[in-house]
Amino acid sequence: MNNFEWANASSIESAVKLLQPVDPQGDPDEMARPIGGGQDLLTSMKEYLVRPPRVVNLKTIAGLDQIKPDGKGGLRIGATVTITDLYENADVQAKFPGLAEAATSIASPQIRNVGTVGGNLCQRPRCWYFRLESVQCIKKGGPVCYAAGGQNKYNAIFNTGPSKIVHPSDLAPMLIALGATVTIFGTEGARTIPMDTFFTTPNQDVRKENILKDGEIVTEVQVPATTARSTYLKFKERESYDFALSAVAAVVEFALDKTVRNARLVLGGVASIPWHVPAAEKSLIGKTITEDNAAAAATLALANAKPLEFNAYKVPLTETLIRRALLKLNA
Amino acid sequence: MAVKSNSRNKPGTATGMTRRTVLKGVGLAAVAAPPLLSRVARAADAPGATSVDQPISGSITITLNINDKDHQVAVEPRTTLLSALRDRLDPPITGPKLVCNANTCGACTVIANGRNIYGCSVLAVDMIGKKITTVEGIGTPENLSPVQAAFVEKDAMMCGFCTDGFVTSTTAFLKKNPNPTLDELKQGLKGNFCRCGTYPRIFEAALAAAKVLKASGK
Amino acid sequence: MATKTIKVPKMLNGAPTGEVDTIQVEDYGVATWGPKTKHRLLNTHLPRVDAPNKTTGTAIYTHDVKVPGMLHGRLVTSIHAHARITSIDISAAQKIPGVKAVLPIVAAGGEVIYEGQAVAAVAATTPEIALDGARAIVVKYQVLPHVVTVDDALKPGAPTVGRGPGRGGNGQGNQQQVEAAVAACDAVVEAEYRTPILHHCCLETHAVVADFRGGPNATVYVSTQATFGIPGDAQRELGVPVTGVVTHMGGGFGSKGGGIGVVGQWACRLAKQLNTPVKMVNTRREEFLMTGNGPGSLHKFKAGANKNGTLVAISTIQYGMGGIGNGGIAAQPYSYVAQNVFRQSTSVNTHEDSSVPMRAPGHPQACFAMESLMDELAYKIGMDPVEFRKKNLPNNANGTAWHRQLDAGAKAIGWANRNATPGGGAGPLKRGMGCAIGSWGGGGRAQCVVDVKISQDGSVLVTSGSQDLGTGTRTYVRAIVAEELGLDMTAVVEKIGSTAYGNAGGSGGSTTTASLAPAVKDAAYNARIALAKLVAPLLGAASADEVWFDKGQAMGNGKSIPWKQACAAVPAAGLSARGQFVGALSGNGAHGASFAEVEVDTDTGHVRVTKMCHVQDGGLIMNRLTAESQINGGMIQSLGMALFEGRVMDPALGIMLNPAFNDYKLPGAMEMPELIPIIDDGDERNVVIGIAEPANIPGCGAVANAVFNACGVRVRETPITPDKILNGLIELRRAKA
Repeated sequence: MNNFEWANASSIESAVKLLQPVDPQGDPDEMARPIGGGQDLLTSMKEYLVRPPRVVNLKTIAGLDQIKPDGKGGLRIGATVTITDLYENADVQAKFPGLAEAATSIASPQIRNVGTVGGNLCQRPRCWYFRLESVQCIKKGGPVCYAAGGQNKYNAIFNTGPSKIVHPSDLAPMLIALGATVTIFGTEGARTIPMDTFFTTPNQDVRKENILKDGEIVTEVQVPATTARSTYLKFKERESYDFALSAVAAVVEFALDKTVRNARLVLGGVASIPWHVPAAEKSLIGKTITEDNAAAAATLALANAKPLEFNAYKVPLTETLIRRALLKLNA
Repeated sequence: MAVKSNSRNKPGTATGMTRRTVLKGVGLAAVAAPPLLSRVARAADAPGATSVDQPISGSITITLNINDKDHQVAVEPRTTLLSALRDRLDPPITGPKLVCNANTCGACTVIANGRNIYGCSVLAVDMIGKKITTVEGIGTPENLSPVQAAFVEKDAMMCGFCTDGFVTSTTAFLKKNPNPTLDELKQGLKGNFCRCGTYPRIFEAALAAAKVLKASGK
Repeated sequence: MATKTIKVPKMLNGAPTGEVDTIQVEDYGVATWGPKTKHRLLNTHLPRVDAPNKTTGTAIYTHDVKVPGMLHGRLVTSIHAHARITSIDISAAQKIPGVKAVLPIVAAGGEVIYEGQAVAAVAATTPEIALDGARAIVVKYQVLPHVVTVDDALKPGAPTVGRGPGRGGNGQGNQQQVEAAVAACDAVVEAEYRTPILHHCCLETHAVVADFRGGPNATVYVSTQATFGIPGDAQRELGVPVTGVVTHMGGGFGSKGGGIGVVGQWACRLAKQLNTPVKMVNTRREEFLMTGNGPGSLHKFKAGANKNGTLVAISTIQYGMGGIGNGGIAAQPYSYVAQNVFRQSTSVNTHEDSSVPMRAPGHPQACFAMESLMDELAYKIGMDPVEFRKKNLPNNANGTAWHRQLDAGAKAIGWANRNATPGGGAGPLKRGMGCAIGSWGGGGRAQCVVDVKISQDGSVLVTSGSQDLGTGTRTYVRAIVAEELGLDMTAVVEKIGSTAYGNAGGSGGSTTTASLAPAVKDAAYNARIALAKLVAPLLGAASADEVWFDKGQAMGNGKSIPWKQACAAVPAAGLSARGQFVGALSGNGAHGASFAEVEVDTDTGHVRVTKMCHVQDGGLIMNRLTAESQINGGMIQSLGMALFEGRVMDPALGIMLNPAFNDYKLPGAMEMPELIPIIDDGDERNVVIGIAEPANIPGCGAVANAVFNACGVRVRETPITPDKILNGLIELRRAKA
């Protein structure tokens, strides 16, 4: 890692101040960075993918690590809540079992004990071209996406621009499916936006994966109350510890007659952002979930997939996960 | 190092400090200090330790509590806990091993405030004030813990380089899950990897140790 | 005369009656193992003597060594597969406070021929500054054309690597005749099999501490498979006598067999320049790129069998891909006999680091290919795969061993319950079973010198310069001596891993136990005889021949005294006995059979190994507990090869895409099946034969065959990952339509 200044932030405001870039036009990979658990940040720094002159510790900000009721049946989850604390929380387990499942599916116990909600959402992609310092890929300011014509079995099957990364977060698809919002703090104070507008595609900005400006931080995620059932199915190439080859966050609200009143399906591991599939959702409204309906929804969800040379397998794989998630919620 | 807010906090700020007070830097210590500040101020008593909002850099001496003992150690902000243990402490603590340096193998596992973590993936400066346990603090050859004794009996090792990490993870896991099924155990140990192939005997050892711990009421 | 009579006190209820009794003991007049089933310690389950250290952080590995004043070394390595270095500027690095020395390794104008090749070395006061120094060295490259895949390397006009195009054998056999014989068979299989380059993934990366302080000698600690490979290399660099030390080492698997390596060479040179100790440890990335690999392979088969189960003809063209190295692959038809055999084997060189031995070099690759082929033929003629194999085994001791092991493995896995129709199970989760066999030489050599010292206070020390890779060497070294002297394991201390002790060979080819154990036995025997001579007068026995040691006692002439008391007869300087290799105690020729049961989720392509067994012979087993662990380890590494592992290269960029444990995937806890290690006690040979490598050979083939049985997809390129299963199932459905 490069030499850097370490600062324990006492408050959100001081954190934002400490994170303001000295040269806003400079290389975004050489600006101050916030640290939660550091499970992605430190690994990235060890590979010199990011070379912050200053690292600002958010864990010293009081109250940022709390899960609180929102007073309306939902939850407010602080950005420095660890993944372990998230899934061990009784309210999370009771109200949003799919979120607990998503959290449990992350990495390994050691990572989950330290990694934070904010860090999980803001983590950078795993594409091996991106992670190798010697490769100047388009996401790092270089000329081309090497995955597009290269070894792309782990890359995206939906086309969202010149970079073919997939977003690696497990919490993100689930939070989006649950209709979560996220609070961002910057120099102009706080703003709260729907989680599904937080993530950005390469078409929007190839150098980033979310809308955070330099010096901004996520401080809280809000998950509204729901009576829907939720589940997160993650398929890993290696069950012990791996990112998703494909994942499905499914949130379905059933009417008393067991027909679907509302459905949210968000896919992970298949696109540069958590991939919402509204056409598939619509196909289920008013129907009971059967093998046929689930299969049809799955087909619809993947209808405009554009696989690369080595990742067509993600289509049948994701269809399976969608079917299984729906049938599981139907039980 | 999460710190609880006090009742005087204004909504939207963690500690009741305004931006104006932040800009004063070290002078904060002179202001009436909410619990946050005084917590950090204790760490600041040690020479060169970190204080709130004040960026620090270069070589600093910090206090780390390892195996129930306070150690003074000179580190840089970029020094990982693992490197502080292995390269900076004198005598070094070498139970946790450097294998991948990328939070992917578990050989560097230590316990911090009761939870197992990768020592290579946390910074030493971020571990001030935590209770850190390494494998050396779990037992000695003359006084093996039940987990260690079970590892010995079941031959849960070969070259031994992953073993300290597995002993540490198993110890932390059984404290939280004293009665695991084999599948729960595998889930609990899936952040530790072995090349020699000791997993099946590690599982046997862990389950045997669970029985011993239960019988002894620990 | 093997059996003799010893006069011992007659005992009643634990107390001597004053009368004399006799016991019969086996004594052969020479170091001998004795009957297999009569060992007190050997061939039983002995806890590892270094386990208390390994579980408490008190086992010291080279990585852990810290000596006063020690500096940290760091390498700079090439980021290109093939390039010419136009300049190396070390000036900025030299200016960094804490950087003590910077040495270029490849001069300007020099060529680098693989990504990861060392080009410069730095020593500094902390690991962080060493890395700062390394990164401050400015290396300018002129990138040259490269090849990093076998297909690219075989294209006409491909850039040559190192010594030129692949070195190959001329074919053995008559290719035309054999292929004609193939064509005439009832069942013909033409298939290509591939395995990628694999990595040892020793948890302890290559590491050296060169403890040289400018004085008349030095100690060099190396994570090595060969203690005695240290001094030669190190002395050349340091110019002083060197003691080589490896107290514990964190895995070798073949990669640490040769000398002190690049880290050692440059740690020594830096130490020499600075008269200061230097520790240099390979990073994980360097471990993947520059410390040697297990070669990839490509096998092109044309083979035919008849309905009666005869493997009639097999033609093999095979390639070994060992980077700039030899990449040797075992010859086909591997374990089997066929009337008509043609084989041609070629090394294909690419701009990658060199192959080095990797746990049964060349065998797992050849075995996977041949065992898959045998399976394909068996299914084609409609014969049970085990029966088909048995019909084509050699008619000799090897064949006999395999027959026995196939039967034992089939029983352990429950082969009788197998669904004989590939993909025949109902539902998306389908189970299947597969098998494979392998063999290895092993065997001992005359290379070890072992010393046993018995002190006047009764303490017993056995020393050997040998290393222990985790195989359990320390434990059997102690056990042989303890058993010979009638003592408990706790009464003997072993010291190994230093060139200050007796000579030992490097660990390679599974020869350590077969070489070392006989020498230990010889030393122990010599010690016993020498001690018996000294103790005879104490017991009033007429000669050493009437003295026996058992249960911590020295007995003879109707008397029995505790060991400690008997050792009063030892001179103050102690009793020293030396042992050398005894050929009669050693043998070679190990076999092995693996069986696997898998469950394939045909909707996701996930393969879960549910159960795996391996039957292994090894002559006389020193320690059943550690042998079983070795067999488990072999199965697990085979599982990794079958389902997860492989180097991934980008052909255009020439670089390795997965030099890290996130994307070079080792099997973890969740991947573990029920594992059944079986020591083949049907092997009656009463000599020591190594087992570490043969245990690692057939598992991959067994898993691949189980996958086919489960879902009907024959994946011919490892690792068998979900994408390959899903693609294969789509192909199958298309073919049926």
